[in-house]
Amino acid sequence: MEAIAVEHVTKRFDTVVAVSDLSLHVEQGTVFGLLGPNGAGKTTSLRMIMHILVPDEGAIQILGQPAGEQTQDLIGYLPEERGLYARMKVREVLVFLAGLKGLRQADASARVREWLERLDLAAWSEKKVNDLSKGMQQKAQFIAAVIHQPPILILDEPFTGLDPVNATLIKDIMLDLREKGSTIILSTHRMEQVEMMCDAICLINHGRSVLAGDLRAIKKSYGKNTVRIEYSGDDSFLDLPESVEKINHFGAAVEAKLRPGADPQEILKAAVARGVRLSRFELVEPPLHDIFIEKVSEAHA
Amino acid sequence: MRKIWLVVKREYLTRVRTKGFILSTVGLPLLSVGIFAVSLALATSKTESTFKISILDNLGGLAPQIMQGLKEKLRDGQPAYQLVRTWDRPPSEATVREALNNQVRNEELDGFLEVPRGVLNGEDAALHTRNPNDFQTTRTIGLALNNALIARRLSDRGVHIDNLDEIMRGVDLTMVKVTKTGESKEGLESLIMQISLVMILYITLVVYGMMTMRSVVEEKTSHIVEVLASSIKPSYLLTGKILGVAGVGFTQYLIWMCTGALVTTYGAAVGSAFRPGAAAPLFHLPIIYLVYPPIFFVVGYFLYASLYAALGAMVSSEEESQQVQMPVTLVLVACMVLYPIIQRAPNSPLSVALTMFPFSSPILMVCRITVQTPPFWQIALSLALCVATTIGIIQVSAKIYRVGILMYGKRPSLVELLRWLRYT
Repeated sequence: MEAIAVEHVTKRFDTVVAVSDLSLHVEQGTVFGLLGPNGAGKTTSLRMIMHILVPDEGAIQILGQPAGEQTQDLIGYLPEERGLYARMKVREVLVFLAGLKGLRQADASARVREWLERLDLAAWSEKKVNDLSKGMQQKAQFIAAVIHQPPILILDEPFTGLDPVNATLIKDIMLDLREKGSTIILSTHRMEQVEMMCDAICLINHGRSVLAGDLRAIKKSYGKNTVRIEYSGDDSFLDLPESVEKINHFGAAVEAKLRPGADPQEILKAAVARGVRLSRFELVEPPLHDIFIEKVSEAHA
Repeated sequence: MRKIWLVVKREYLTRVRTKGFILSTVGLPLLSVGIFAVSLALATSKTESTFKISILDNLGGLAPQIMQGLKEKLRDGQPAYQLVRTWDRPPSEATVREALNNQVRNEELDGFLEVPRGVLNGEDAALHTRNPNDFQTTRTIGLALNNALIARRLSDRGVHIDNLDEIMRGVDLTMVKVTKTGESKEGLESLIMQISLVMILYITLVVYGMMTMRSVVEEKTSHIVEVLASSIKPSYLLTGKILGVAGVGFTQYLIWMCTGALVTTYGAAVGSAFRPGAAAPLFHLPIIYLVYPPIFFVVGYFLYASLYAALGAMVSSEEESQQVQMPVTLVLVACMVLYPIIQRAPNSPLSVALTMFPFSSPILMVCRITVQTPPFWQIALSLALCVATTIGIIQVSAKIYRVGILMYGKRPSLVELLRWLRYT
C-alpha cells in the first residue's frame, strides 16, 4: 500500500490552473522530495493531500483511504509560513494542536512534555510563544507536526532559520521517524538537502509533474556527464567550448558539464598544459541543482 | 464534535484569562455605579455659595416679587440668593448696566437680572452672569421672574394673590400603560429600561462580533490557520470560535447580572433600614424582558458574529479589518438611530418593517416588544425570518471563511467573493 497516491488531480482557481493532471506516488517509509520553483503548485498540492483543499478532478488516497476528514489525523504538517498563537503558553498551544489531531488530553500533555524535553525547550513550556526566539518557535512548531506520531509527515522547508546544531537535531528526528515507519514529504528549495535525504522526488512546474521517480535512478539516467574539479591557479583551462557545455563556479571548486560525447581527458590535458594544480578531478552524475534548473528552464523555453 | 469543543474551550479560556476581560468584567459595574453615584450626588447638590444678585428693573416694582421666588436655603442654612441692590427704573439705564457688568466682572456680584420695560409684552429679560451654564441657578431665577410676571399680570387685572407658589404648584403625570392583560404603572424607569436594553444589545453585538472578527484575523496574521485547517474542518473551526466567544459574553453577563441582583437586593435592604416601607425592589422586571430579549439576542449574535467572522477572513491584517467592519457596524448604529421611531409609533408600517428586517430585528423587535407588545404572529414571523437569515449567513460566511483564511494579500472584490462561494 502506498502512503500517498495522487491520481490525475487538477485544481483551478477561477481561470488559473494551479495543479494540472498531477499524479504522485509515495511509498511508505520513504522520504519524498516535492520540488518546484516558486508558484509551481507545491503548496496547493500539499493542501489537497491534507484535505485543506479538495481537487476539482482526480482522486487522492492516503494509506488506502480517500483523502477526507478522517485522513487529516494521519498527517502531521509543518507549513512554510510558521505561526502559533503568540499570546498562549507553549505547552498549551501544543496540547491544543495535539487535541485537534485526535489525541486525548492526558496523552497529549505527556507527549508534549517528552517532546519539549527532547528539543531542549522544557524550560520554556510555561512561557508565552511570543517570548521565544524564532528558532525556538520553529522547534515548537515542529513538535506540533510530529506530536501525534503521524504515519505521514509533511515538512515545508523544515531547516530554514535553524542553526547547524538545531538543524542536525531536526534531521536526526526525521530520520528516526522514518526508521520507525513514517513517510516524510519534504518540500524545499535546498537541493543538497534533497540529495542527502530523499529516496524519491517529484519536480513540478506550472502545476504539472515534469520529473518524478527514484532519485538515484533519475541521476543515473543523466549519466556521469559532469566533472567536479578543485584546483588552484588560472581557470582559463576551462575555456574549451567544444567539450564543456556549462560551468558552475563555487569559489574553490567548479562543476563543468560536458557536451554529449566529449572526453573529460581534454579538460585534464588543458589543465596540465597550463600548469594548474589540481587537488580533485572527479567524474560525477549531475547535481540535482542542475537537473532542476535544466528541467524548469526547458519548460520556459 | 470533540474538535469543535476543543476550539470552544481554547477560545473561551484564552479570553477569560486575559487582564482585559477581568478588568472589563469587574470594572464596568464599578464604573457605572461610580458614574451613577457621582451624577446623582452632583444632580442633587445645590450651588454651595450664596448667589449675589442685583436687579435692573426697567418695568418697576418687580424686584420684591422676584425675590419671593428666590427664598431657597443652602444646606448650611444660608440663603441661596442675596439681593445686593435693586435699580428701579434708573434714569440712565446704560450707565447702570455698565456699572453692574463691571461688578460682575470684579466678582462683587455673581450676576444681575435685567428686566426690560416691555417685559409684560413678551420682550426678553436677560441674566448677566460669569457662568451661564449653571442650569440649576438660571432655571431657578427664570422661574422666579416668570412667577413675578404672572403675579403682576393678575394684579393688573385686579386679582391679588399672596401665596403665588400655592397657585403655581403643578402635579406630575403618571403614565399608565394599558395592555391586553391589564394595566401597569409606567414611569421614567420603564423608558430607562428600554434605552438600556437597546444599548446593551447594540454594544454586545458590536463588541462580541468584533471579538470574533479579531480572533479570525489573529489566526490569519499568525499563520496558525494553516495548521488548524489541516486538522479540522473550517466550518467546525468557525462554529467553535463563535460559540467560544459567546461563552465569554455569557460569563460576563452572568457575573454582571449576579452582582446587579446582589446590589439591588442589598441596596433595598439597606434602604428599608432607613425608610421602612421602601423595601420594594428598585425595578420590577416584567417577565417579557426575560423571555424575548435573550432569544433575539442569541439569534442576533450568531447572525452578526458570523458576518464579522467572514469579514475577518477576507483581510490579512488588523488595520484592514477596521476598514471592512464599518458597513456591518453602521447597520447596528442605524438600529440605534432608528430606535425612537419604534418608541413613538410602534405599530406604524415603518416600525413593522424595521422589526421584520432580519438585520435590525434582533435589536428593534426587542425594543418594540417592550414599548407595546405586537401580536404574537409578528414576533414569531420576525424571529423566523431572523433565524432563516442567520442560517443562510452562517453558510455563506463559512464558505467565505473556508477560502479566505488561506488567502493573503489583496482584499477580494465582490465578484471574487461570489466566485469564492463556488469553490470546493
